[in-house]
Amino acid sequence: MLLRLAWATLTRHRMRTLLATLGVAVSAAMLLDMVMLSTGMRASLEDLLLSRGFQLRLAPKGTLPFDTDATIPEASEVIRTLRTVPGVTTISPVLGGQVHVEGVQRTISATALGVDPAVQGDYEITNGRSPSAPNELVASADFLQVSGAQVGDTLSVAAGYDSQLRSFTGRRTMTLVGVAHFLYMAAEQRAVALPLETLQSMEGARARDRVSLFMIKAGENENVDTVLKRIETALPRVSALSTETAMRQLDARLSYFRQLAFILGAVSLGVGFLLVTTLVTVSVNERLGEIVVMRAIGVAKGRIVSQIVIEGIAIMVTGAICGLGLGLVTAKYLNSILAAFPGLPAAIDFFLFEPRAAWTALGLLTGAGILAGVYPSWRGASMPIATTLREEAVG
Amino acid sequence: MIAALLAVTLFQSLDTIAPHRLPRTAAIDERLAADASLKIGDRLVLSSAPGDSTGDTVIVSALVRRRADPSEVARAEYRVRLHLDQLQALIAYGDRVDRFAIATHGATATDSAIRRINGAAFGFQAYRSRDIAVETSRTFLVVSRFHRAIGVITIVASAIFLLCIMLLKVDERRRDVAALRLMGISAGSIVSSMMVEAAFVAVAGSAIGVGIGWTSSLIINWYYRGVYRTPLAFAVVTPEIVTLAVALSLVLGLVAGFLAAQRLVRLPALELLSGRREKRTPARTIVAP
Repeated sequence: MLLRLAWATLTRHRMRTLLATLGVAVSAAMLLDMVMLSTGMRASLEDLLLSRGFQLRLAPKGTLPFDTDATIPEASEVIRTLRTVPGVTTISPVLGGQVHVEGVQRTISATALGVDPAVQGDYEITNGRSPSAPNELVASADFLQVSGAQVGDTLSVAAGYDSQLRSFTGRRTMTLVGVAHFLYMAAEQRAVALPLETLQSMEGARARDRVSLFMIKAGENENVDTVLKRIETALPRVSALSTETAMRQLDARLSYFRQLAFILGAVSLGVGFLLVTTLVTVSVNERLGEIVVMRAIGVAKGRIVSQIVIEGIAIMVTGAICGLGLGLVTAKYLNSILAAFPGLPAAIDFFLFEPRAAWTALGLLTGAGILAGVYPSWRGASMPIATTLREEAVG
Repeated sequence: MIAALLAVTLFQSLDTIAPHRLPRTAAIDERLAADASLKIGDRLVLSSAPGDSTGDTVIVSALVRRRADPSEVARAEYRVRLHLDQLQALIAYGDRVDRFAIATHGATATDSAIRRINGAAFGFQAYRSRDIAVETSRTFLVVSRFHRAIGVITIVASAIFLLCIMLLKVDERRRDVAALRLMGISAGSIVSSMMVEAAFVAVAGSAIGVGIGWTSSLIINWYYRGVYRTPLAFAVVTPEIVTLAVALSLVLGLVAGFLAAQRLVRLPALELLSGRREKRTPARTIVAP
């Protein structure tokens, strides 16, 4: 009965109900996007950092991985020390650099990663195989596209350029043995990976026994924070970062987006709430006569309030359901804009859909719908019956 | 480090003491001075690695405030500006620099210099500062595009909201409109009067919105300048933005008012007066037996 009455009221002014639902749908879409933005980026990065099972990173003291050109000296000694730390199971050293690949027509520069191919966590092979000899390398699809090279080709790779001698330095002839998807690289970034020792020797004295980063796996049953503390004690001259610490650092840097998400989400919720409140208030004012008649024939105040609240909830929930679809479409579009962020791994999604985000948006809007209906309905149902009846009849 | 190398030339004049006799001077970040309680005249030991005993002692001679540079806003590291040769020695960089900043006499001279450097100096690449600025501000171009997209969504939501409100406002005046129609006032006049009303509401709302926007920009700038410790303006309300917002609001208001009024004046006056919509039943054909 309550539902039928609410339905009859909503369909009495179809255009009005449709517009209100549309307004709520846009607000819900924005709210969903903002909930996705506030949580998705973090979840996406966490997934990325843990995708290869490395829970810890060691970077030069006071820096984040690859945040500066700084490197960790005496890498062999660090590895030896790390092997003595209880709980450490896998150590993957990484040296970052730049290489120049001499082509027929032009030289192509690419980001280079010196890794231990057996334990690396920076790329996944999509075609071919991982390097197994010092003169082998793998490259990203973007590199292949720009250079025109193919798996099996021999390339002349240099690590630097001497402007006085006008020649490349650290030159090696290497074989391209595979195509790799680099997990932490930005979109369209040209990248190659080669054995660590090869890159170190190509870069000469400045990279001798140096690495940019260590990626570390802790044992399955180990507490990561405990292992982190052990590493910090054993190696006070490096910064050890757990995934959680990295997330906190990221949070601090990208706090702008979380704050923006919070503000816009709150505004969207507020707009949806205002829209439904206005509509329900006007609707109640128009039906005062009908409401007092119902009261006069004995319908309880609570039932009248419930009926009007149901109207508000119906608009909110219908709008929210339409808004969820709209929100996913707009999130995809907004994500494509933010994906162009310079230097950010292409695998990061700013807007990551999680069912929890949808439920949060729906829950907030339903709550707002209830609140939007409570005051006008209570006011309408509390009007003095006789006076209102007379006023409505005369008016 | 690049900035430090570049800035070295700016601070050559800070130090007139002969090298290696007395500690040389260095300029440090204002934030570093605040966080580490340093002041001009303090002595520091700088080294390329933590705990390195072969550090170089310098005297703090200047505090440098960050420029309002968007590309630096999210970078939290401290900066120390040293003399070029001192930094080269400190980090064992040899006789190398990362880049040169070159001043020219006007745009023509810049073009000519770039052409000559790129043509003659094999292994170097000359860029216009403007091109570098475009490249380094890519982050903010992305943020700007994101804001624009959010703005479009907000405009759509506002348009629907405005249309809904106008519909309600016009609906409230069904009887007034009916009386006017019965008195012989034309539909066009009624629509015009409602559009004027809608325009007034839109302009009044815009004025309040501009006030809220301006206050918000003050709060945003105050907050983010504190968070990022930069003089950068994060939100700016310009006359162009105000004009755009008011114009957009006015257009939306007029369109919403027109649509809502059109919907009302199309109904028969008596139907409006009674508040009931008359059901139009199709004509029935009675066939004689």
